This record gives sequence, C-alpha cells and structure tokens, in this order.
Amino acid sequence: MKVNHTTAKRIFAGTMVLGLGALGLTACSGDSTGDGSSSGGDVTMSLWQNSTTGPGQAFWEKTVADFETDNPGVTIKVQSIQNEDLDGKLQTALNSGDAPDIFLQRGGGKMAAMVAAGQLMDLTGGISDQVKEEIPEGSFIANTLDDKVYAMPVAVLPGGIFYSQDLFTAAGITETPTTIDELEADAAKLKTTGVAPIALGAKDAWPAAHWFYFFALRECSPAVLAEAADTKDFSDDCWIKAGEDLQSFADTEPFNDGFLTTAAQQGAGSSAGLVANHQAAMELMGAWNPGVIASLTPDTKPLADLAWFPFPEVSGGDGKPGSILGGVDGYSCSVSAPPECVDFLNYIGSADVQKEYYAAFNAPPVNTVAQEAVTEPYLKQIIEAYNKAPYVSQWLDTVYGQNVGNALNVGVVDLLAGKGSPELLIQAVNDAAKKA
Amino acid sequence: MSVRENTSTRLEVDLASGGNSGVTPGFPPVRRPRRVNWGARLEIAVLVGPALIVFLGFVIFPVVMAAYYGFFSWQGYGPPTDFVGFRNYITIIQDPTFQEALTHNGIIVVLSLVLQGPVAILLALLLNRKLRGQSLIRVLIFVPYVISEVVVGTGWSLMLQTNGAVNGLLEKVGLGAFTQDWLSNPDIAIWTLMVIITWKYVGFAVILFLAGLQGIPEELPEAAAIDGASFWQIQRHITLPLLAPTLRIWAFLSIIGALQLFDLVYIIWGQYIASTAGTSTMATYLVTNGRNAGNYGYGNAVAVVLFLISLIVALIYQRYVLRRDTEGAITGKGKSR
Repeated sequence: MKVNHTTAKRIFAGTMVLGLGALGLTACSGDSTGDGSSSGGDVTMSLWQNSTTGPGQAFWEKTVADFETDNPGVTIKVQSIQNEDLDGKLQTALNSGDAPDIFLQRGGGKMAAMVAAGQLMDLTGGISDQVKEEIPEGSFIANTLDDKVYAMPVAVLPGGIFYSQDLFTAAGITETPTTIDELEADAAKLKTTGVAPIALGAKDAWPAAHWFYFFALRECSPAVLAEAADTKDFSDDCWIKAGEDLQSFADTEPFNDGFLTTAAQQGAGSSAGLVANHQAAMELMGAWNPGVIASLTPDTKPLADLAWFPFPEVSGGDGKPGSILGGVDGYSCSVSAPPECVDFLNYIGSADVQKEYYAAFNAPPVNTVAQEAVTEPYLKQIIEAYNKAPYVSQWLDTVYGQNVGNALNVGVVDLLAGKGSPELLIQAVNDAAKKA
Repeated sequence: MSVRENTSTRLEVDLASGGNSGVTPGFPPVRRPRRVNWGARLEIAVLVGPALIVFLGFVIFPVVMAAYYGFFSWQGYGPPTDFVGFRNYITIIQDPTFQEALTHNGIIVVLSLVLQGPVAILLALLLNRKLRGQSLIRVLIFVPYVISEVVVGTGWSLMLQTNGAVNGLLEKVGLGAFTQDWLSNPDIAIWTLMVIITWKYVGFAVILFLAGLQGIPEELPEAAAIDGASFWQIQRHITLPLLAPTLRIWAFLSIIGALQLFDLVYIIWGQYIASTAGTSTMATYLVTNGRNAGNYGYGNAVAVVLFLISLIVALIYQRYVLRRDTEGAITGKGKSR
C-alpha cells in the first residue's frame, strides 16, 4: 500500500513539474513576441505575401534584406502563402488576434470588414512626401475608407485578355476582337488549329467569376454597380442580362476541356500554365498574369509572344465603353504592428523598389517614376487602358465583400457547369445574405 | 495445529504491510478500505486528469462554444452580439445546397459499406491462407491507407484531369471511347470519389478483418472440414459469423468516417467546385459557407448540425447493432439485466 501511495505522489509531482514547465515555456514565448511596441530596440515583424516561386519570392527576400541593412535592429520574417490559401489564413489570423504585422491587402469590402473590426493601422499621416508625390492619389482610393489610408498600393492590376500572338497568327487572326461576337468567331478559328481558345481556371472559382464581372461591367451602369455595393441588392435587370451573356458565350464552348477542375496558377496544367505552354490561346486575367505565366513557361522566362487586349464590348449595355475592372494590390500594417511597419511600407512604395517589383512580377507598378521603366508593350497598353477608362471598379467579389463575393464565385461556376441559370445565380447571391 | 499457526501469521503479515501498528486487530476491515480508496482515488485523478482536461478543453468546450456561436449572426470579428435564435438552423435545413451535401454523405456511407465490405472480406480470406508473396500483397493493400490524404488527393486529381494520365493511357491502349471528365462531370464525379475512397480505405478494413480472423480458433474450421464442409460452407457458416463483431466495428468506423468526409474532397475539388461537381459533403459545405464566406456564426451552426447527425447515427448504431459487443456498457444495459 505504501509503495502505491508514494508512486501516486511521484506521478502527481511529476505532472505538476511538467505542467509548470509548460507554463514556463509559454511564458517565455509570450515574452519574445511582446517586443513589438517599443522602437529603438530590436524589432521583429512578420510579412505575409502570396509569391511562392521564382523572382516574386526572390523580390521579397531581397527587399526585406535591403531594408534590414538600412535599418539595423529591424528583422522581418517573410512568409510565402499560396494565393488561394491567403485570404482564409489571413482572416483566421486576424480573428484570433495573431495577425501578421505586414500583409497583402486587396481592398474593397474585405478591407472594410478589417477596418470595422479595428484591425488595420491608419497610415494617413505616416506616408512620406516622396511617396505621395510619385504615387498618384487615384491609386490610394482603393485603399482609402472615410478619408483614411489603410494600405500602401504597390501595383495596379486591371483585367483584360492575355493572348499568344503566335497562336493567333497560326489561326489566321490578324486583329484582336473588340466585340463578343468577334471573340466568339476568333475562338472558333482557334479551335480548328487544335488549341484551347480560352484557358479558364474554374477550380479556384474567381477566374470564372471574372467573366461574369466583366459582363456585368458592360451591362450595368456605374450607379447600379455602386448601389449594389451598399445595399447588396442585385434585383436590377442588368445582372440577369450579364448572366445570360455569360451563358450564351459559354454555350459556344470556348474554354479548355475540363476547365472546371483546372486551377488558375498552380503548375503546367493550370490555366496560366496552358497559356505559358501554348496549349491555350487566351486567358481573362488581371495584370499580375505575365509574371505568373513567366514562372510556368518551360524555361521560366517571360512568354515571348504574350500580348493583351481589353475585354470586348457588349452592344446595348448600360456600362460605359472602355470601363475596366481591376484591383490595386497593397500592403497593410496590422493595428498592433510597430511603427517601423510604416517605414517599410514607404520603402516598398519608393521608385527604386517599385522598379524591382515591376521587374520581378512583370506587372505594372503604381509609382509613376517606376512606370517609366516599363518596356513591355502589353504592360504599356494596360496602363494606358487603365488611365483612360471612363470608369474603374475593383473586382466585384472584393467590392461586395467576402460573403456575397463567395456566393457570386460559386454561382458563376455552377452557371458555367450547366448546373444553374442566370436567375439561380442571382438567387444564390440573395440567399447568401441570409447566412451572414 | 498447523492450520491455526498459518492463519495467525498471515494476519500479522497483513497488519505489517498495512502499516496499522497499534490498531485493534478486530477493526482493520473498516479502516483499511478507506486508506486504499484515498490512494486509489488520487491515482485515478492523476492518471485520468490530464486526458480529461484535454478532452474537456479540446472536445467538449469547442462543441459548447459552437452551439453558442450557432445562434448568432457573426462575421468572426470581435465577440458575437447579433443574436438570431434558430435562424441559422432554419436556413441550413432549407438550403438546397446543404440537402445535396447531406445526400452525398448518405451515398458515400452506403457505397463505402457496399463496395469496401465484400472486397475487404474476400481479400482478408485470401490473405489468411498460406500463399506466396503474402506479406508483399498485405503491404501493397495497406500502403494507400498509410499515405496522407493530401498526397492521395493531389496524385489522383493530377492523374484524373481531362488531360491527365488516365485519359492518356486509355487513348494509348485504344480505349479512347472511354475517356471521361472523371472529376468535373457531375454524373461521374461521385463514382470517381468512391473508387478513390475504396482504394484508400479498403486496406484498413482488410487489416481489421485479418486481425478478426486470427481470433477464430483453428479447431472449428478443421472440425467442419472433417465433417465434410466445403471451403465456402466453412466461410459462410463459421468464419463470417465469428467475424461479425469485427465487421460491426468496421462498419461503425466507416459510417462515421463517411459522414465526416472532408480532406479528400477538399484536396481534389478545391474550395469551390465540390458542390458543382456533385461531391460536396457536409464538411465541405461548412467550410465553403462558414469559413470562406466569412459567416462564422452560420458555419458554427452547420458544425452543430453535422455533430448532431453523427451523434444520432452513432448512438442508434451502438444501441441496436453494437449491443452484443458492448455488453455492460451504457447502451447495452437493457440486455445485461
């Protein structure tokens, strides 16, 4: 009996020691993360970005290393997160109060939700004069809410159709299409040459939804689009019309075989990979696409015959011809980030870093001084189309926030798969409001 | 004489080991159990405590919190404040997308049993006999179960893509007519999923059944064989009935696994298109409409529904099917009386 008793005692004591040890460990780790608020001493910040391969990832490593050299005592830990995982992971981190200090910001309704929850640092007073001079005010609009700036823009990324000039030539297409009818005719020509006319990464849903968004931009007036952002009311006829446009376009089967299970950016079988390897001629995508395509070509160099044209016009719509959809990618500081975070954002907005950004991502930088370094004709075209567009809207899933955006994305995939109708798409969006 | 001596010695020894010196010999039975209980209780507390804390903290507490959050319209930012009563639950039940997901779960439950059961029994019977390369075959059958779901999902989804290896192979061997959109055709996708699930989990069933077969005494089939029973008669009337407890446990694990299926579907069909392809499950519905949509209150309500469905199925199964195997446990009380 005695033996038993002491054994129990020992076990109990052992458990206590273990427990205390665990407490001690958590106490230690608590200390090391708590050094954020003070400046002057050593500062460690975390950075979440969505480049997982090649020059994009190298850009962030170099930029951070350069910044650390200029600012002794500052350490930035870069974490690469695959684009499709970023939004979900970020929201979880924000909700759990364990947000990264610096992170990719897409703006719109998602940013508004973060601001409403008091999770973003107000950058309004912190942006340097130099940056303000070189980055046009318009580029800050996407990241501004109630006259307060919440993110540093790094790139303007309007959408349009990227295509392979060689494949167009092989199909006997000499001029890029300006209307949907012409696009359908060109797609038919391309099909006869044995390539997929248009690559679509519908597995990730948003690339499919981009088609619907552009049709909505052509069919709906700017007022209707803006009103929907406030009221989440999609009862205007133009939304149904946009769905019908997309359905009749999809009926001509312009997309690659198996587009429903094609990813957007991962691997040679993805939609960007199909364009990179001359398996598909076109892809509707934002201006980040050249960089993604470059990372998926056989020699991981930019695609030599890549070119661009704006989304074709739709006759009879309420949208202003030439209107363009596009995001502005920016970077935000979490509300609990140290003040050095703002210094870093000013640094990535500077002309030199912006030039490197352009070189790494093959995407139009937001800094006007850096824009002068752009040489690719398609990027110049994109910047030009963007600058002269009579109306610019962000991607609608970003504008309408996570809930409605998610429902729109899923609804469009159903529509393309032949499982839905324009009416059901709008119905799904209205139903989503009930789940909020 | 010798008997008496022996008894008294034993009593002394008992007293010494109990450490109760100075206690009247007439009373030890009363005091001793108390001391024993105290030590035993502490021991139980120390041994069970950590597991209990983990169980309460990581199973019961989240379930209670999910039930609480399920009554709110909550986007996950800050504490929930917008109480909506049963609105989330009503929306779930009325949502055709959820009904579809539930149907898919039902199909997967039934097909898992129907496809894996017979195949696994045949394989187990085969592997239970002496044959050449037995261990190699066992390993080959069990390997898919050990491979991570992510690897399996990624591998199969690459092979089954429209331009993937499977269709390529079919074309090369002259069966081009059989090429399909294995993953994206809603009429086929769920069958594709079933093939992958069967391939992945049949090994687990085989191992369970083999273990069950080991427990069947050799004398029974031998005696039956001497009495002139054929191989199939022996399997039908001796092996299968004796294997029944293992079969029932396997079916239970299979049903619960099928109800909660998430990882394979999520890896192969991604965040969005499972419902379009007709392979969505309650768990993927939860992630799509809860986490991806940012409706955390709604997502928690879905989690509660999923939990309740699994719980009810599990309890019914325990009460009516596992009753014989869990004699004396809570659900088997009626019978043991």
